[in-house]
Amino acid sequence: MLDIPMLEISNLVKKYGKGKDEKVAVDNISLSIPKGSFFGLLGPNGAGKSTTIHCITGIAQPTSGTITIDGTDVVKDYKEARTKVGLSPQEFNVDIFATPEQLMDYMGGYYGVPAKERQLRIDEMVERFDLQEHRHMKFQKLSGGLKRRAMLGRALIHTPDLLILDEPTAGVDVEQRHDLWEYLKEMNERGKTIILTSHYLEEIQYLCKDIAIINHGRIVAQGTKESFMKDGKSVEDAYLAITREDNKKS
Amino acid sequence: MNAIGLYTMIRREVQRTFRVVVQTLIAPVISAALYIFIFGTVIGSKIDSIAGVPYISFVFPGVLMLSIINASFSSASSSLYFMRFTRGLEEILISPFSYLEMIFGFVAGSIARSLMVAFLILITGLFFGAVSLVNPVAFILYVSAIAAIFSMLGLIVALWAESFEQLTVLNTFVITPLTYLGGIFYSITMLPEIAQNITLWNPFFYFADGIRSSMIGVSEADTTFGAFLIVGLVIGLALLVNHLFKIGWKIRS
Repeated sequence: MLDIPMLEISNLVKKYGKGKDEKVAVDNISLSIPKGSFFGLLGPNGAGKSTTIHCITGIAQPTSGTITIDGTDVVKDYKEARTKVGLSPQEFNVDIFATPEQLMDYMGGYYGVPAKERQLRIDEMVERFDLQEHRHMKFQKLSGGLKRRAMLGRALIHTPDLLILDEPTAGVDVEQRHDLWEYLKEMNERGKTIILTSHYLEEIQYLCKDIAIINHGRIVAQGTKESFMKDGKSVEDAYLAITREDNKKS
Repeated sequence: MNAIGLYTMIRREVQRTFRVVVQTLIAPVISAALYIFIFGTVIGSKIDSIAGVPYISFVFPGVLMLSIINASFSSASSSLYFMRFTRGLEEILISPFSYLEMIFGFVAGSIARSLMVAFLILITGLFFGAVSLVNPVAFILYVSAIAAIFSMLGLIVALWAESFEQLTVLNTFVITPLTYLGGIFYSITMLPEIAQNITLWNPFFYFADGIRSSMIGVSEADTTFGAFLIVGLVIGLALLVNHLFKIGWKIRS
């Protein structure tokens, strides 16, 4: 099962702007993430993590290269590819006047989840992320942590095979963060493939089995968590050493 | 086809309509009531019949069309622009919709609002004795098709606009002048011949005439040509908006 790639990225390039203003955000990235993996995508701000995620999910158009999700091309067969992915993005890309319950309801509907099943899933997500008291509050009135939890509920509402979490615990309190970690572990153990980006490297170290570090739009290191932690180093130590070394070269 | 997804898009737009009910439903009814009162009752009482019908009956379909155009254009343009502004559009982009389905969802939501506005204005018209509906099926088809045209124009403007102010540009410089010059408040037979000929090039003349023919059975235009024009515009705009969504113009980086 682990040998079948859930996500396959081949020679992905993403450029913004034209002529003198052209900026290469992703520079020829190739990546293969097997089914059932818990994959950490690390890198400094502006390294290309979110752009890569945007290309995977259809928010951005790749300049060149291919991306397949469970064998489905995200450009050619975009409609089918979208059914397999759930995204909790870094930015709050929501209707700020909608409530957490409405956000989950709409997203579940967009993914074709029937009304009864959707309501059960909403109730489950509301309970899971401790949103009972806030389920009918407007998103704009929620605290940062509650907003983040509502986004997670929205990403999970259609039970995707591939879950992409871009900074999912930013602004979430410690207790909730640990609760979320256990939930993500449980989901991964049940077979979900999860891609996680986070600046909390203890989170990556605790959760992920495989890690890639992206810097200046390129993958500069990739391997199992253990390979990063050899010689008794933490993931954070390895991350800092690798990115500093790469920055010196650039 | 993603039927549940499309139903959700329409339901969301209808809920948005009711969230700001004063702007979306009550304001158009008040405007239409003022138009009917001033042009139909106050001025109309001084005018003999026009094209064989009382002035209020002649003018009412045009007033209704004006409201439909405004409702569909503002529904689609504000919905899409607001989604671009808040990045809420990403919810639609990452969902399993084809580009045509995305457009259909926006347009159907706008048509739903336009039909609600049309229904409320018909009720208002009853109080002024201005309503007749000789062909209800044709009326619904005309209202839906005209709403589809202006909702797609609204989508194009919402993609193009970089500020909320720019959303009103097309309305101010194109829609309003062409609407008022499209024979809503007068019969084109009242115009000099050259103005009549110019009016025949104004698509809004055919929009108003189509609705009028379905309501009071009076037509001043070639209805077959009008129907082809409306269908042609619906198809042409759908192809253009589909292309813009496909290339991701202003919606995907």
